[in-house]
Amino acid sequence: MMKRLQTSTWVYLLIAFVLMLLPFVKDDRWFLFLMIQIFVFAIFAMSYDLLLGYTGIVSFGHAMFFGIGAYSVAVTMSRLDSTFSSFLLGVVVAVIISGIVAFLAGVLTLKLKSHYYAMLTLALAGMFLYIAERWRSVTGGNDGFTFRIPELPGVLQDHRNVVIYLFTLLSMVLLFFGMKRLTESPLGRVLVGIRENDQRVESLGFRIMPYKVLISVVSGVIAALAGVLYAVSLRFVNTQVFDIEVTLDALLMTIIGGVGTLVGPILGSAIMNLSHHFLSDLASVHWIFQRWVILFGIIFILVVIFFPNGIVGTIQKKMHERKMKQRVKQVEKQSAKN
Amino acid sequence: MTQPLLRVEKANTYIEQFHILQNINFEVQKGELTLLLGRNGAGKTTTLRTIMGLNPATSGHVFIKGEDITSTPTYKIAKKGIGYVPEDQGIFYELTVGENMRVAMMHEDDATKERLEWSLELFPDLKKFWKKPGGQLSGGQKQMLSIARAFVNETDLLLIDEPSKGLAPVVVEKVIEAVEKIKDHTTVVLVEQNFYMANRLGDRFYILDDGLSVHDGYMKELNENEELKRKYLGIG
Amino acid sequence: MELFINLAINGIAMGMLIFLIASGLTLIFGLMSVLNFAHGGLFAWGAYSGVFFYVLLDNFWLGLLGAIVTGLLLGWLTELLIVRPVYGNHIRQILITLGFMLVLTEMLKVVFGPNIINAPTPEMFQGSWMIGDITIIKYRAFIIAVGLILFIVMYSVLKYSKIGLIVRAGVMNKDMIQALGVNIKLVFVLVFMVGSALAALGGALFAPSSGAIYAEMGLEFGIFAFIVVIIGGMGSIPGSLLAALLVGLANTFTAYYMPILSMVVTMIIMLIVLIFRPQGLFNISGVSNK
Ligand SMILES: Nc1ncnc2c1ncn2[C@@H]1O[C@H](COP(=O)(O)OP(=O)(O)OP(=O)(O)O)[C@@H](O)[C@H]1O
Ligand SMILES: [Mg+2]
Repeated sequence: MMKRLQTSTWVYLLIAFVLMLLPFVKDDRWFLFLMIQIFVFAIFAMSYDLLLGYTGIVSFGHAMFFGIGAYSVAVTMSRLDSTFSSFLLGVVVAVIISGIVAFLAGVLTLKLKSHYYAMLTLALAGMFLYIAERWRSVTGGNDGFTFRIPELPGVLQDHRNVVIYLFTLLSMVLLFFGMKRLTESPLGRVLVGIRENDQRVESLGFRIMPYKVLISVVSGVIAALAGVLYAVSLRFVNTQVFDIEVTLDALLMTIIGGVGTLVGPILGSAIMNLSHHFLSDLASVHWIFQRWVILFGIIFILVVIFFPNGIVGTIQKKMHERKMKQRVKQVEKQSAKN
Repeated sequence: MTQPLLRVEKANTYIEQFHILQNINFEVQKGELTLLLGRNGAGKTTTLRTIMGLNPATSGHVFIKGEDITSTPTYKIAKKGIGYVPEDQGIFYELTVGENMRVAMMHEDDATKERLEWSLELFPDLKKFWKKPGGQLSGGQKQMLSIARAFVNETDLLLIDEPSKGLAPVVVEKVIEAVEKIKDHTTVVLVEQNFYMANRLGDRFYILDDGLSVHDGYMKELNENEELKRKYLGIG
Repeated sequence: MELFINLAINGIAMGMLIFLIASGLTLIFGLMSVLNFAHGGLFAWGAYSGVFFYVLLDNFWLGLLGAIVTGLLLGWLTELLIVRPVYGNHIRQILITLGFMLVLTEMLKVVFGPNIINAPTPEMFQGSWMIGDITIIKYRAFIIAVGLILFIVMYSVLKYSKIGLIVRAGVMNKDMIQALGVNIKLVFVLVFMVGSALAALGGALFAPSSGAIYAEMGLEFGIFAFIVVIIGGMGSIPGSLLAALLVGLANTFTAYYMPILSMVVTMIIMLIVLIFRPQGLFNISGVSNK
């Protein structure tokens, strides 16, 4: 077990290393931008996976945390000055606000059925969007506003996009390993227990509410961090960050990639962002590519019906089944010998 | 040998991942009252639910009059003339007694009306509280309503799950009398822990333990077999 | 005073529209514990098809009929293709119906174009009545009347008819109603279709009162409907009506006096209910919330 875990960790680190070298090979602005988007949404989708995959909670309000993060950093940096300290202040504000909101939402509804959490988060996110659109003096409404990010020293300033690329990549890698640790810890196993069977975990003596609330908060805060990175990478923010479609993106990425795998959402983010990018290019070929949401909606529905484990989940299941078969064969061989 | 009215053959039932019924075999002859005995958690309720198709068997078979109904939907099983009185009586709490009866009636023909009249004579309380919500009835009255409701349609087989549960002895006596009358009209499978009641009503018995059928025979044999009674029923 | 009454009428009219969406939602949930996140999409489809048939056939009533038929058809399709494959799995249900909501909304843009569409008010309901100092907008009064009539019809059907008894019994105890010979799945399809048609009718009625319709309105009103179902209690029609009126009134009044709070106030009502009465104001026993 320990050995296997290490191999997979090495594989992930190798991939991260290759990704790190990429901008030095291909320093194309659009390419970097696309990759940054993939990383940012991978973080966002992983935070979603933490919630859905490890506790079985469906949130329809994840955009709320994303938006809180994006606006926290954008507003502090445009109101104060574009220094690193105001960036850090923005991050702190993002963490605090998203933590509080996630805590409240969790405490209020997690003791109820999953429906309630889904509905409450949907409604809460709707409210945030609504307020953001009307509170134009702060949010800039749908037009939004641009802001400056801190100047980098010397030559780094010339390669700012590469720095942002590396920064988001690093954040993604760190958060990935952090969440992986969390899910593989004893706490993580309790969480999977929660997903599998509420009542049994309860009867084992765990009081599950605090765990669920904790996950709700961790997930919300990480989603806010994704929002921070999103705003910084664009140097622009508008109320669309609160849009339900942002939540749906995370949902699609998680489901397509594989719920409860953490790698799945990263893959999902890559697939979604890349196909969005290329499908938009195809818009002139056929109208369906313009309405790519339909396409994704249909794919999503089909995935939920026929492919509920997603890509990574299905692969893992296949591998697991093969291993079990091998084990059964070994046992059979041995018992044949005896 | 005549074909049994009900035959359960090597039935295995799972609830979620738990293997509850294991190779249950079980036969009911027409006209008899068959008891299903066994301690708490033995799988008696699950057996009745498997027969009704509410927890269908994943392997094995359930036959009614020779017809395989293992994976027939519940409502079709009910329409074959199987009445069910569940352990919790299954009363629709916000419907009145009358509405509970009306929902149950599959047809509104004369025969149904006759059976309704008959039940109301058997259970005068139901007539008295006709307009009272089912949830407000006493435990005994709920039991009566549930039995009357199951019996209002033409019933070849009535499955009754622990009708004496939680009732005072006087009320148990009433229920016994009612079941005695009903068993003249139809075949009954009765789950019962109250040995006094079981003994008064049963023709044949089956004992379940831990999801397995462990013993069966005529009621007389059980009465004479102190060890069986002690081991599985906790009496003696 | 005049203002107060006008606002109240607006609020009640809005409440009635929300009620039409919520009533289907609540029954669908109560009967099969299916939470249909695509339900709001039916409202939008009702609005579009209502306007489409009204303009095409030049008859308001035929427009409403067109919306109802659209609702019935879409409801049937939703149950068959979307809900049925994932029965019993709540998370997959939530996900798949939400995916379908997306498709429904985008399909509206494909079929009717992405722009806002004007919705005419029928001539007979244009203008307003003056009663003393009070102006009553005719169309609003019409909506209220329709909402009330539908509530009474729904309530009586559920209370007195055999099919109504069966639906209510099914909400209370699904196993038992089947053990009494009722094909609950068939009943459910029926309820699903009727619920969808009610939402579609709500949309068609909404269109003239707002004057313009757009694809995203389904999601907006869908959210209101969910809030109403939480407040009113899953499976309860009177609960839905009461909660819908409460939400409609609270929304209209705050929208006038403190616009920024209008959405917040609905949320606050919901939060209070969730804290003190998580099963909702009315809750049919047998529908568990746990
Ligand atoms: N929904 C369920 N989930 C998991 N296990 C269940 C469920 N329902 C029943 N069981 C288990 O199945 C076994 C048999 O239960 P069943 O209700 O059939 O027993 P019973 O003989 O009717 O008991 P009693 O006399 O207490 O009514 C028990 O061990 C019970 O714990
Ligand atoms: Mg039992």
